[in-house]
Amino acid sequence: MTPENQQLIDARKPIIDHLKVELIKRLNLPLEPADIHEDVALLGSGLGLDSLDALEIVLCVENAFQVTIADNNIAVLRSINTLVDFVLEQKKGGVVTP
Amino acid sequence: MRKTPLHNFFEKAGARFQERHGVETITAVSTPEIEYGLVRDAVALSDASYMQVFRIPEAGAVDILDPLLAGNVARTRFGRLLHTFLADDGGVLAADCYVANNDDEFLLICESIVDDSEVRRLFMEGGREAGMEDLTETYAMLSLDGCKAWAVAKEVFGADILGLPYLSVENCTFGGEKIRLFRSGKTSEFGYLILVPRGKADELATVLAAAVEKQGGGLCGAAIHNDLRLEGRFFNIFSEGEAVRDPLSLGLQWMIDFDKPAFRGGDAIRQRRAAGVQKKIVGVRVAPGQALAPGMSLFDGGEEAGQVVAACMSHVLGCRMGLALLKSEVAYASLRFHLGAANGPDVTAIAMPPIMPKSLSVKLDEM
Repeated sequence: MTPENQQLIDARKPIIDHLKVELIKRLNLPLEPADIHEDVALLGSGLGLDSLDALEIVLCVENAFQVTIADNNIAVLRSINTLVDFVLEQKKGGVVTP
Repeated sequence: MRKTPLHNFFEKAGARFQERHGVETITAVSTPEIEYGLVRDAVALSDASYMQVFRIPEAGAVDILDPLLAGNVARTRFGRLLHTFLADDGGVLAADCYVANNDDEFLLICESIVDDSEVRRLFMEGGREAGMEDLTETYAMLSLDGCKAWAVAKEVFGADILGLPYLSVENCTFGGEKIRLFRSGKTSEFGYLILVPRGKADELATVLAAAVEKQGGGLCGAAIHNDLRLEGRFFNIFSEGEAVRDPLSLGLQWMIDFDKPAFRGGDAIRQRRAAGVQKKIVGVRVAPGQALAPGMSLFDGGEEAGQVVAACMSHVLGCRMGLALLKSEVAYASLRFHLGAANGPDVTAIAMPPIMPKSLSVKLDEM
């Protein structure tokens, strides 16, 4: 693996792992972390979460990573990967730990 | 080859046809650019009669469907759709399925990559005694998709349809006949599947097409649906599904109830799950003008990391995008790969879906 790609994984993986564990715990999903693909739709199809669940996700991300998700920013909530991109973008240049 | 009941209707509009897994499919009516714009900016009517549809009385439905399908049919709430799949005994994909719990019946809708007769045999073998019927050749399926699809459905079937949540089913009438309307769609925009008796199919298609035209829409084929599904990161059994076949590598664990005692192919899937998923699909994009097609290899440094399994032109991104099946250890968005060789053109893994559909900003409850 190239060092650049390893660095990108190192930045991304802890956020993914944390989000999966939190999603399973908070939303009582009958899945293991490895069962959740990072691109699976969080709302509607896929995990099929509703608007209350969405609120749980927002709180979970905001608390864990000290970021703020605007009320109308639905785009961020489309998948774990879009959430991770958002967190990394907000924390650009800094270290991201849950 | 099974022909679509809507052949003449779409042929008159200049549609092009193609056989897919022994079933006649309308591939396109105009150009990809026009059809793409119809769905993203207005609404398109297409023929989904390639799908197989089965009806089973409520009483025997769970006993027949649950042992075959990966999802939990018993937990499907009244008026709702379960999205799941049918695997073969080896745990590889055979059909992408919706199960609708509708009044006194369950409806099974299949997009299959195996022969019609194989799917029919599997379900009808046990289902016949429970009153299961194959509606595939006696009904037609129409699909309405686009950010204005709701307006067409409202005009033709009434304002009540606006209250339908995603993945639900409703009975309507048209010309005195019972129509089943499924709020579904795999384009990211509003979508409805409409199951109509064959004898009323042309008449309903004519009425819908007129309503579609009023909204600035038109007719489209199945080919553009492949692109729209990919751009919206909806699973497509005819694309990455057929190329990969393993539901775990495809990230379809959400369609499976692992707590269910048994389902077809379940043992093989559980074994692979326990061993850990070795490969995963990831969204990728290339620079504008750069080619990207299924079968192309991706390199991470000097090592081959995987292959492209689906690709399309994304009109939102302005470049080609796709899905690549990568070794799990490098299957992460934001990573950079090279196409075809260690020094080939750049490919970037991306978070999916990369688009923000117009339908997400439409508030149906305020209409």
